[in-house]
Amino acid sequence: MAELSAQVNSSLCDLKGINHSFILPNGNPITVLKDINLTIYRDEIVALLGPSGCGKSTLLRILAGLISPTTGQVLYHGIPLKGVNPGVSIVFQNFALYPWMTVLENVEVVLKAKGLPRGEIKRLADKAIRMVGLAGYEEAYPRELSGGMKQRVGIARALVVEPEILCMDEPFSQVDALTAETLRAEVLDIWSCVEKNPTTVFMVSHDIKEVVYMADRIVIMGTNPGSVRSILRNTLSRPRNSRSQEFLNFVDRIHRIITSAIIPDVEIQAPVTPLKVSPETMILEPLPDVSVNEIIGLLEVLDAHQGEEDIFHLAIEIHKEFGHLINIAKAAELLDLVDTPKQKIILTKLGKRFVDSDTATRKRLWKEQLCTLNIYKRILDMLRRDPKGRLERDYIEGELVLHLPQEDPVKMFNVLTGWARYGELFAYSEDTGYITLE
Amino acid sequence: MTEIFHEIGSDKPAVHKPTRFSWIDFLLVLCIAGLFYGFISVKKEWTDVLRPVVEIDLSPWALPKYTFFSLVRGIIAYCLSLLFTLIYGYWAAKDRVAEKVLMPLLDILQSIPVLGFLPGLVLTLVGLFPRSNVGLELAAIVMIFTGQVWNMTFSFHHSLRALPADMRQVARIFRFNWWQTLRWVEIPYAAIGLIWNSMMSMAGGWFFLMICESFVLGSQDFRLPGVGSYMSVAVNEGNFPAMVYAITAMVVMIVFLDLFLWRPVVAWSQKFKIEETGMQIVASSFFLNWLRKARLLQYISGMSSFIIGSWFHYLFSRKRVYSERGGKIRLPFRIFLYIIYAIFISFFGFGCWKLYHLLQALSISGWRQIFWHGCLTLFRVLSAVAIGTLWALPAGLAVGLSPRLSRILQPVVQIVASFPAPMLYTLIVILLQTIGVSLNFGSIVLMLLGTQWYILFNVIAGAMSVPSDLMEVSGLYEMNLWQRLKNLYIPAVFPFLVTGWITAAGGAWNASIVAEYVVFRGYTLTARGLGAMISQAAEKADFALLAGTVLTMSAFVVVFNRIVWRSLYNIAQKKYSL
Repeated sequence: MAELSAQVNSSLCDLKGINHSFILPNGNPITVLKDINLTIYRDEIVALLGPSGCGKSTLLRILAGLISPTTGQVLYHGIPLKGVNPGVSIVFQNFALYPWMTVLENVEVVLKAKGLPRGEIKRLADKAIRMVGLAGYEEAYPRELSGGMKQRVGIARALVVEPEILCMDEPFSQVDALTAETLRAEVLDIWSCVEKNPTTVFMVSHDIKEVVYMADRIVIMGTNPGSVRSILRNTLSRPRNSRSQEFLNFVDRIHRIITSAIIPDVEIQAPVTPLKVSPETMILEPLPDVSVNEIIGLLEVLDAHQGEEDIFHLAIEIHKEFGHLINIAKAAELLDLVDTPKQKIILTKLGKRFVDSDTATRKRLWKEQLCTLNIYKRILDMLRRDPKGRLERDYIEGELVLHLPQEDPVKMFNVLTGWARYGELFAYSEDTGYITLE
Repeated sequence: MTEIFHEIGSDKPAVHKPTRFSWIDFLLVLCIAGLFYGFISVKKEWTDVLRPVVEIDLSPWALPKYTFFSLVRGIIAYCLSLLFTLIYGYWAAKDRVAEKVLMPLLDILQSIPVLGFLPGLVLTLVGLFPRSNVGLELAAIVMIFTGQVWNMTFSFHHSLRALPADMRQVARIFRFNWWQTLRWVEIPYAAIGLIWNSMMSMAGGWFFLMICESFVLGSQDFRLPGVGSYMSVAVNEGNFPAMVYAITAMVVMIVFLDLFLWRPVVAWSQKFKIEETGMQIVASSFFLNWLRKARLLQYISGMSSFIIGSWFHYLFSRKRVYSERGGKIRLPFRIFLYIIYAIFISFFGFGCWKLYHLLQALSISGWRQIFWHGCLTLFRVLSAVAIGTLWALPAGLAVGLSPRLSRILQPVVQIVASFPAPMLYTLIVILLQTIGVSLNFGSIVLMLLGTQWYILFNVIAGAMSVPSDLMEVSGLYEMNLWQRLKNLYIPAVFPFLVTGWITAAGGAWNASIVAEYVVFRGYTLTARGLGAMISQAAEKADFALLAGTVLTMSAFVVVFNRIVWRSLYNIAQKKYSL
């Protein structure tokens, strides 16, 4: 590790002041990435860690030159990047193999594009296919292969052009757990050969253990908008043992950082609004993008665990992506059904009562809790004041954009009506596009 | 499954297992020799001095030659369609500005009935080649082309736009140039849709074969030797045996194309399938299996793909049309595009100006009459679609829901549907006359003849895509037939049905030109309608009336498409898509 730190000062790629936003269909801009500054050095593995929707895949594509950022610059060997980054190749989450080409053709085609002579293409492709253990499968089509095998082809294709930087976008999330473990070790093997490319691996993941196992530096990202929360140096010696105490301690440390970044212990509910405040100036709560069933499911699971559980254990137990589980917990907390001190989720008294009730009572409690939220107060108020007792979808989405400019109004609207439907608070008809009181 | 894989796997020329020259190779050589002779006679036909009127020999022995002439026209027109599709579709998909003009333009062009293009084209092209048949031949080919091209272009454009983002990103990150992206990624992705639409197009091209090959403009007779003109002469003379010969020749040609062109191509195209969904019919072709065994062909295809490949590589690899950054089009190429726009716009403007002058000859009452006749034809079109739905919906469901039936019947239906219905019109009109139905209503039957297949096809496809778990659910709850229809089958096939309606209505509008105006043994039967008006205008060479009626018909089609079909389509997409 000491030698590694010595080499670290030679930078390969610099991301400078990257901001990225795009325009929603309704014309409002949404910021995906904000103020990202990141340097990627030679001979290291950098991992971006963050919940889904924090823009990590977008950042990877900006580094690769597939997307040009709204503002900011990507430097490659100190020179501003124009177009596709010549030193990068990508391993895609969904493999992105061409289904009409055999394994061999999928690998050869990228060499053909470089205009290499026929014999050279054959030799390099053969070597790459053997390296990832696919010898004998050259003539197979992707549809005949399992997820793990497909990703091996993806890796062979990425490596055959000998990229300086190997970008991997959640490479093992579509692969079964055992195969994923093998593939991680193999990628490390290939990378550790110093004389050969790739010198650097840049990966995106939401799996904390994977990141601790692979990376030298871990970039933790936060959402809304995506930004760098902190960068950790991982000095565990290789090969790493994912069952060793140091390893688990490090995983735990990252857990704590993420929890404090995503669910601060301070109350996130909007301050109780005094009565004189008019509804127009109320602060509306952004509703996390989760369904009613997911929230109830969380409560049921917590109940089965005597009303208390560590959030990370829970994520593993119920096979939910960690970032999404946090969203569910946030939603439940918003409704006062759970409490989230540190990394724990605890069922509140109300939550316990909710779980123990029958459907009718659950719906009643749900409705009462919704009525405590400003966003529902606001809509109910508008509904009552409307002469026809109805509101148009577009109008509500417009309001949402106004009050919650960082949120996607379409998603938000769906969550809003989804929750309201369960509580029978108001009804929404897709055909007419109107919200009406029940 | 293994069957498919085996087939796909054996697609590459097998290097390891040596194949001997076989009798298949010998047959191929014979075929090539035959084709060679055929093309010589085509060439002779084309470059022959333009005759005032071509005499059509009604003896059955002349038919093979005529059929071959028609086939060559159809195939050349198809090649043109493919070329047009690739260029136009690619341009519209890559150039966002052009797309806004090109796609609506395509929609309008598609709605213009073939007779709208015909007179102008014939006169221009005959004028260009005054001393040989080339002009007239080209005109006929372009006519057939206008019956083929549009849906292919729509399909290709749609595929280009629907290409998954990561497949495109692979092409960019590994620096494929635009030609490589087109050849290795975009065309393979579009292949299946393009091939299906090609089959439809070929059938659509034959529809107006009779008109294209025996076109009369005022006193001038622009007739070409072919199976279409053979039929029209037979009809004019009331020669029933000759009519039967012509119909037989047409059927033979269609079956021949199906067996030796489309079936092999479809079987080969299986390898471009993205994923397997719903019920699948394993496409196989004995002809393709033969060809794969023939060594001569492997040699030829290997050589040609090598030559074409390296030539194109040489041509395109260095010149990048798109600049590196953000896929923007490079400046020189953009200037070139602007010039094309300019030519396009001035051409269009000139056309509008000419048209305006032409239309000034029409009076207000003339317009009123055209509009009224349009309404009559609209009524017929809708009736034809309704009647077609009445029988094709249950039949399509029955066929599509039974794997056995669909395996047997689908190829048969395909061939029947490719047969150009106008060839049967005379026979049916005679039948209708004997039972006392006037052409005013009889023309509905004629329209139905050509367009019901589109509804049937789509319903079959829809029924085949009903997920089996939904069928199991309805079985579990012991729903009776009516409940199943109401709750499952009709909602499930509705989006497909709408697509079928749109295509069928388009076809019926086009068919009205021949269905409302039938010539038999020298005398003419007409129905009151826009189609008959167009035919009459063309016959009398009344260009003002022709322009007015054609314009009105496209307006009817486009407006009806936009208002009724489009909204039905949206409902289908939103509510019933599975």
